[in-house]
Amino acid sequence: MSHVSLKNLKKSYDGKTDVLAGINLEIEDGEFVVLVGPSGCGKSTLLRMLSGLEEISGGDLEIDHARVNDLAPAQRGIAMVFQSYALYPHMNVYKNMAFGLKIQGAGKDEIDRRIRHAASILKIDHLLTRLPRELSGGQRQRVAIGRAIVREPKLFLFDEPLSNLDAALRVQTRLEIAKLHRDLNATIVYVTHDQVEAMTLGDKIVVMHDGHIQQAGTPLELYQRPANLFVATFIGSPRMNLLEGVVSDTGAQGMTVTLAGGQTLHSEVDGTRAAVGDRVTVGIRAEHLWENHDGSERFAGTVNLVEHLGEANYLYVTLSSGQDIVVRGNGEREVALGQAIKVSAPAASFHVFDRDGLAFTRLKPGNLRSSKG
Amino acid sequence: MKKPFPWHIVVFLAPAFLVYAIFSAFPLIDTLRLGFYTTTDTNQQLFSGLANYYTLMVDPHWSEGFWNAMRNNVKFFLVHMLIQNPIGLLLAALLSMRGVRGAKAYQTLIFLPTLLSVVIIGFVWQLILSPLWGVAETLLGYVGLAEHFQPWLGDESTALFTLSLMSVWQFVGIPMMLIYAALIAIPDEIIEAAVVEGASAWRIFWTIRVPLILPTLGLTTILTFVGNFNAFDLIYSVKGALAGPGYSTDILGTYFYRAFFGYQSQLGSPTLGAAVATMMFLVILVGVGLYFFFVQRKLQRFSF
Amino acid sequence: MQHKVTRFAGSTFTQVILAGYTVLALFPIVLIVINAFKSRAAIFDSPLALPNSESWSLIGFEKAMKNAHFFNFFGNSAIVTVTSLVLILFFGAMAAWALSEYKFRGNRWLMAFFAFGIMVPIRLGTVSILKIMVSLELVNTLTALILVYVAQGLPLAIMILSEFMQQIPKELKEAARCDGVGEFKIFFQVILPLIRPAVATVAVFTMVPIWNDLWFPLILAPGEETQTITLGVQQFIGQYATDWNAVLASLSLAVLPVLVLYMFFSRQLIRGITAGAVK
Repeated sequence: MSHVSLKNLKKSYDGKTDVLAGINLEIEDGEFVVLVGPSGCGKSTLLRMLSGLEEISGGDLEIDHARVNDLAPAQRGIAMVFQSYALYPHMNVYKNMAFGLKIQGAGKDEIDRRIRHAASILKIDHLLTRLPRELSGGQRQRVAIGRAIVREPKLFLFDEPLSNLDAALRVQTRLEIAKLHRDLNATIVYVTHDQVEAMTLGDKIVVMHDGHIQQAGTPLELYQRPANLFVATFIGSPRMNLLEGVVSDTGAQGMTVTLAGGQTLHSEVDGTRAAVGDRVTVGIRAEHLWENHDGSERFAGTVNLVEHLGEANYLYVTLSSGQDIVVRGNGEREVALGQAIKVSAPAASFHVFDRDGLAFTRLKPGNLRSSKG
Repeated sequence: MKKPFPWHIVVFLAPAFLVYAIFSAFPLIDTLRLGFYTTTDTNQQLFSGLANYYTLMVDPHWSEGFWNAMRNNVKFFLVHMLIQNPIGLLLAALLSMRGVRGAKAYQTLIFLPTLLSVVIIGFVWQLILSPLWGVAETLLGYVGLAEHFQPWLGDESTALFTLSLMSVWQFVGIPMMLIYAALIAIPDEIIEAAVVEGASAWRIFWTIRVPLILPTLGLTTILTFVGNFNAFDLIYSVKGALAGPGYSTDILGTYFYRAFFGYQSQLGSPTLGAAVATMMFLVILVGVGLYFFFVQRKLQRFSF
Repeated sequence: MQHKVTRFAGSTFTQVILAGYTVLALFPIVLIVINAFKSRAAIFDSPLALPNSESWSLIGFEKAMKNAHFFNFFGNSAIVTVTSLVLILFFGAMAAWALSEYKFRGNRWLMAFFAFGIMVPIRLGTVSILKIMVSLELVNTLTALILVYVAQGLPLAIMILSEFMQQIPKELKEAARCDGVGEFKIFFQVILPLIRPAVATVAVFTMVPIWNDLWFPLILAPGEETQTITLGVQQFIGQYATDWNAVLASLSLAVLPVLVLYMFFSRQLIRGITAGAVK
């Protein structure tokens, strides 16, 4: 059993400005938690505080209900996989994996047993006598993970472990990490700046920005109910379309917004805390917009640019109001540049954010695509 | 179509090649050749096979001095290896630690003496150690060791060691900088990985950092070796060409100078000098050869 | 908080060692300079004291300036060092360019030929160098020193510069060649301006040994007119060994230019050494 709890964790280098301002987070046993955010958001600092490499300026860090703030990294029962793998260049794979165990004072047989076991899980049995420079990037990555596994830690920490791999290998390794998590039933904290990695791997995703947790939740929660504009635009590709508007009617069952171009649209959000005349931002994901279809709301514009992805295409459309939006279209249909287009979206698909960027609760965030037919 | 002759390559290479060939490579080869000749009283040079080497190694008049210089030179080198390079390693290790206040300033100041002329350094220490001035004695007095003061430079048993330490004092900055550069080139993440695995600072130093800078330690060794077996200036400026007292500070460089130019009533001879230079060349060649075939080959450079 | 305590102890230990060694490194130099400004009596009475109004004296400097051709020596050293450095950089860059850019037969042999000079000290060829200089009638000229120093500095310069030139992107030269620019123009107008960062490294490794050399000035140019500062100081102190004022003053005069230059350039210099050493 391992349970990690972060209580009001703070980090400050000069005692005045906080790099991390009071982080609260519970990590359950066996959970795969992904810290995601743009560079400089504090996610790596937080991970390094968990590992003990970075001092904790304030708050409590508890592993299995024991405060570990002042414990050295090795005493916390953690193992870390670094971005550059950080394999010891002068030791072969076996020695790399044995180094930490030797320091712990494990017996020769025990060390050997653990290394053989980890190597067979990771399929690196045949590489044990090689030096790191004789390995490919993917193999080094496995050794780095193997070095973590043999320690049998309570908590695995991964610091952007895939960012040094090429695209194809990244997808493959991602799958392997997911499988490893399942097989070992390990508790993992994983840092990345890539939202696709975060969505595919995490049981729980923690979106960070400017030293604050913006939102923590399952991948689907973040996608369907982003708590604020930052999360809404950070999660999902292409980026969510945003349109400025003013509330013209509002209530518990929905909100009507008049957009800058004079057009009104109805959205199914709980608008009780809004008042008529409030400025709001409406968000629509490209995949919830479609062309030439009778929907409850309709936009007209011309196509500027088409990106073909195969199964779909992204149409960059300039609305008659002058706003630019992206529409996900049927990939196998030819669209001409400059072509006039009408796009629609169901009222349930709209996200609405107040002036501070906080989201109004969506009433029916269910599966919109099945109704697309 | 025939390619035109690449004149531009010739033009690019010619100046460097000519200067280097005429004033460095040729003289060296010519010196090796001259070692096989002897100079007559009428200043003619005659081929005489290994006569000079026989003189150097067996003829008591010269060989005693030669072997003495060789022994002293080995001692001179050992002092550098056992004192200069470990101190350089220690200073570099401390400087490369994270968050050491004033590391840049220390580095700059400790390196300063290496830039000064050996002649100046020699005189400066000569003055400080002079019993006439008494600075060294006064300083020892502060720590209650005044009675241990001796005119170290004047004593046959201590002069060479004292001169070696002066040289160590001056040049410790070089191993320090080389090792420092190698240490900071080790990525932080490798050290952090070891920290996370529970290795102490001491253990990290000996099992991770030192093995990773072995190539640099090898380089430092060979540079020290070549520099020491080629040394001359310090001994000459402090002790003159006679390397007193009683030749106790004579090394190959000063011996070479005397063999070439003579001293007191002894006439020098260019050809005998050439033979000494050849011997020095062989010593250095053996050292460099050992370095390349054993050290360099075994120690692969680690790319991080 | 236990590891905080050990960390503090560790940093105190570090500071003590580093500061201690720094004092050891500077003490002799400081001692010489402060005593150079004292009267003879004060030098012996209280060598560790700073000069004050009572002990202040410039007599040593007056003697040193009068008796020796310090400015002349200094000028000789400057001419020899700067000329050698310019030639080393120029010839070295050309050769490094040829060796790193063009594939031709004997390229590797030439590289090895030059590399040999890095490890084998040029001093060992002194007997023959003197013979050559005598036959060229260059003994007691600065030219002799410059020629030898250029030969001495070239191997390392070629090594550092060619390593640096290999990192210049291929596209740059290829773009120039596509535009029909000649090989000489490429070297002078594209490559030379780009190697400026490596110049600092080369300068560090070649200038200091030239400025401080005693051996070749002693053998090739010992005449009064052509003495370099290093040889001049050595000879002067030899003559006035018992005149402490003059000795201390002349040592200070010899140290000061280096100190001043080091104050201005220490950062570039140390960066140059560190960059060169990592290779």
